[in-house]
Amino acid sequence: MTDPPLSPDLPDDRQLAAEYVLRLLPPDQHATFEARLEAEPALRAQVAEWTTRLAGMNAEFPDIAPRTAVKSALRTRMFGTEARRRRPSLLQRLGLWQGLSFASLALAGVMAWQLAQPPAPTTPAPLYVSEITAEDQSLWLLAVYDSGTAELRLTRTDGSAPAGRVLELWGIKGDNAPVSLGVLPDAGASSVVLPDPLRGSVTDLVLAITDVPLGGAPGGNPTGSVLAVGHGDRTVTRHTTKKGGPAAHPFECLIKRRRPRTPAAAPRAPCDPARH
Amino acid sequence: MPTTLADIEDMIARIALGDRNAFSALHDATSAKLFGTCLRILKDRAIAEDVLQVIYMKVWRHADRYASNGTSPMTWLITIARNSAIDRLRRIRATAEIGAEPDENLPASGPTPEQAAIARSEAGKITECLDELEPDRAGAVRGAHLDGLSYADLAQRHAVPLNTMRTWLRRSLQSLRECMAQ
Repeated sequence: MTDPPLSPDLPDDRQLAAEYVLRLLPPDQHATFEARLEAEPALRAQVAEWTTRLAGMNAEFPDIAPRTAVKSALRTRMFGTEARRRRPSLLQRLGLWQGLSFASLALAGVMAWQLAQPPAPTTPAPLYVSEITAEDQSLWLLAVYDSGTAELRLTRTDGSAPAGRVLELWGIKGDNAPVSLGVLPDAGASSVVLPDPLRGSVTDLVLAITDVPLGGAPGGNPTGSVLAVGHGDRTVTRHTTKKGGPAAHPFECLIKRRRPRTPAAAPRAPCDPARH
Repeated sequence: MPTTLADIEDMIARIALGDRNAFSALHDATSAKLFGTCLRILKDRAIAEDVLQVIYMKVWRHADRYASNGTSPMTWLITIARNSAIDRLRRIRATAEIGAEPDENLPASGPTPEQAAIARSEAGKITECLDELEPDRAGAVRGAHLDGLSYADLAQRHAVPLNTMRTWLRRSLQSLRECMAQ
């Protein structure tokens, strides 16, 4: 077959752009045209024009909802299987903390605060208290750190992970990469012994919670692209985005940390993109 | 559906930052339209489901390119869907050596009256302008756009020589452009 002469009254590029948009060009011409697009803004404009011009026909494409299984399959394909790893060993429920009411916890907090005051010779190793809350208050945890045993005790007083997600706790020391402290149990209290790098002075330790797929952050590694700033699974908690409202920040990191001895400490931004 | 184009644009912007929640929301808001697009072109549910996944993976990867794209967000998404479906269709044909026999299961090429009404209200002039073409020429343009038919497919469907079909299409596109510019 031979190509007919080009239609005399339709400029060549415009015609090519239309045929390109309709996927009518033979493969070699298609590839040639695509290569030109990279370098020629005017040609890209022609393509955009034809795309918009023909888009009116798109209304004839019907709405047909795909099976819900398709979305789950997509998620698995893109973000990995959801039951890859659980790390319950890192965080075990602490019986003592289960069933404590919020009131008694608040009391424990006050006591801990007092214990954190300048230690008398008889005072045991200091306890530190911190709250971890989401900006929208949809999640609220109380964290108590015993510097004597390096044990961090967490009690969730409010909030839960979105369906199909779990909450993962991260410790961030100074400018270092976040260290996973494991997945929080669905409710109640838990404790974790801080790994060596996070011990010592905890006044610059930031605790963050992200919601991640069941089994923890894909890859399990707090560095790398999985945790690159802005990825959705860095989200501390559920967002309360309102339709039509301002765009939600894709992640909201920590939150509040109360330092026992330096109440005027400025809050930091542990997930500042510049840090990653 | 209460989702507006601005919502979708917002979702795409957030996806460009890696926001999986936005990605999920975009999927929920747009998958019916994109799946309908795939199904219309591929006419096979299993293949359309697979292509749908490929489409959303492309959206995830290329969301940052949307801003400079120059089209509306739904047009951008449907273009990705349509091109992906057509590419798959052609690949299947090439490997299966089915050749150009797409006509058997094709639905009527024209829109239903309801679709035509929607198209008219949403799409401005193109339906009007298509109506000004000879019915078989308009049918060829629709076949190319909505069914992803190639020149060879169209020539066979309309029982005209390939070169005649090329001329039809090119003239029709030119007429459409002139009509829509008015």
